Amino acid sequence: MDRELFETMRLELRRGTLVLAVLACLRTERYGYTLRQALAADGLEMEESTLYPLLRRLEGQGLLTSEWREEEKRKKRFYVLSPGGEAMLAALTEEWRGINASLERLL
Amino acid sequence: MDIIERYLEAVAAQLPTEDREDIVAELRDLILSRVEAREEELGRALSDEEKEAILHEIGHPLIVAARYRKGPDSLIGPELFPYWLFGAKAGLIVIAAVQALGLLISVLGAPADFGRAISQAFHGFFSGGLTLLGALTLAGAIMEHYDIKPKWLTKWRVRDLSAFGLADPAKWGASLAGTEKAKSEWLPKGARVWGVRAETRGAADALWSLIFSGIFLLWWMGVIRFDALSQFTLRSGEVAVAAAPIWSTLYGVILALVTAGMVVDAVTIARGGADRVTWTLRIPLAAAAIWLAWRLFDAGWWFTLTQGEQVAKVMGGPANRIGTELLRALHLEGRGLEETAVTLGAVLSWVLVIAMVGYGVSIVQNLWRIATTRAR
Repeated sequence: MDRELFETMRLELRRGTLVLAVLACLRTERYGYTLRQALAADGLEMEESTLYPLLRRLEGQGLLTSEWREEEKRKKRFYVLSPGGEAMLAALTEEWRGINASLERLL
Repeated sequence: MDIIERYLEAVAAQLPTEDREDIVAELRDLILSRVEAREEELGRALSDEEKEAILHEIGHPLIVAARYRKGPDSLIGPELFPYWLFGAKAGLIVIAAVQALGLLISVLGAPADFGRAISQAFHGFFSGGLTLLGALTLAGAIMEHYDIKPKWLTKWRVRDLSAFGLADPAKWGASLAGTEKAKSEWLPKGARVWGVRAETRGAADALWSLIFSGIFLLWWMGVIRFDALSQFTLRSGEVAVAAAPIWSTLYGVILALVTAGMVVDAVTIARGGADRVTWTLRIPLAAAAIWLAWRLFDAGWWFTLTQGEQVAKVMGGPANRIGTELLRALHLEGRGLEETAVTLGAVLSWVLVIAMVGYGVSIVQNLWRIATTRAR
């Protein structure tokens, strides 16, 4: 098997699921660094240079809210799902389950 | 300044001013969190090299800042790129064809300047090509940036798609190939040229004819200029070319004939290839072209070349010039004004004779096709 091609396809496959993973992870309030750790702990490694801009984009789309707070002697930005984000997460979860079920039947 | 602050400064310089402070503060927290985690792991402070390794993992400042940028990630996005590529390919082919035509005209006008004509054609192709690519990229970037979606991007019709064959050099080559055998060898089996099967003559030839007639018409009406036709250089100096009175006399006739030819070409393309209608239309057209060529041939004086005080007429025609003058021209030594005029006169005489014979043959061919082909 062509490893390079597999890697490209694997990344493509994962890319679409990252938004769903981030939204799901932010049902609990977290700041960037701990969010990344939480995703990694569940097997979803994500580069900082991808994660942080994504958080800002989701906030700009009204799916997240953020707040600067001091913790461990430093100011950190905490993110959590907004009500709009919760509705979006529910809709995307349903979609994901549909896709997953279809694929399971095919695979 | 600390290595981390230097890195953040480089990122900040690329960020929009309104978000800069906020983004840099968040990035600083991220970097410091990673440094602290690593220090905790090692039980000591990190060296500058180790901090730099973390910054490398986060990414180059230009890339990190670009991820925060609003708007498109690329000048031409994946949706627009195929259109850009088509425009670039088709445009470059058209520019190459126009330059080749210009080169041909230049060489016929001044055979002595073949080298200069070649270099001008290359220069024209590269400068035209680069301008085209720049203009296309600029237009694409504006469309991408402002999310402009013209109707042709979304509301296209299958019947309008034949023009997209323009960007396929194989089709241009096939349309130029003289024989059906060559066309069938150049193209995949059953491939279509301008919406017509490669085996069917007509539409491709008509498209070529339409393009070149259009360029000729623009030049004839003075909209575009080919300087090589009005002035060229011999070893002995600059030569000015003036048209003989016959061209003024026949100006309107030539204009009407070329326009009529373009109409017939357009009809041929619209009908998807040549058929009984277009063959019939081409017969009076070819007859008119023979009459025109004969009027020019019979006039015998076509251009006047002037170099300083020296004047030479480009002449030819029926007065026994075709054979003897060409032979004389080929043996003339040097490239003086008189010799050039004789050469041009002989070449033009032959061109007119060949054109008349060619049009005569095409009349016979079209009559034969009409007689042997059933109506569609």
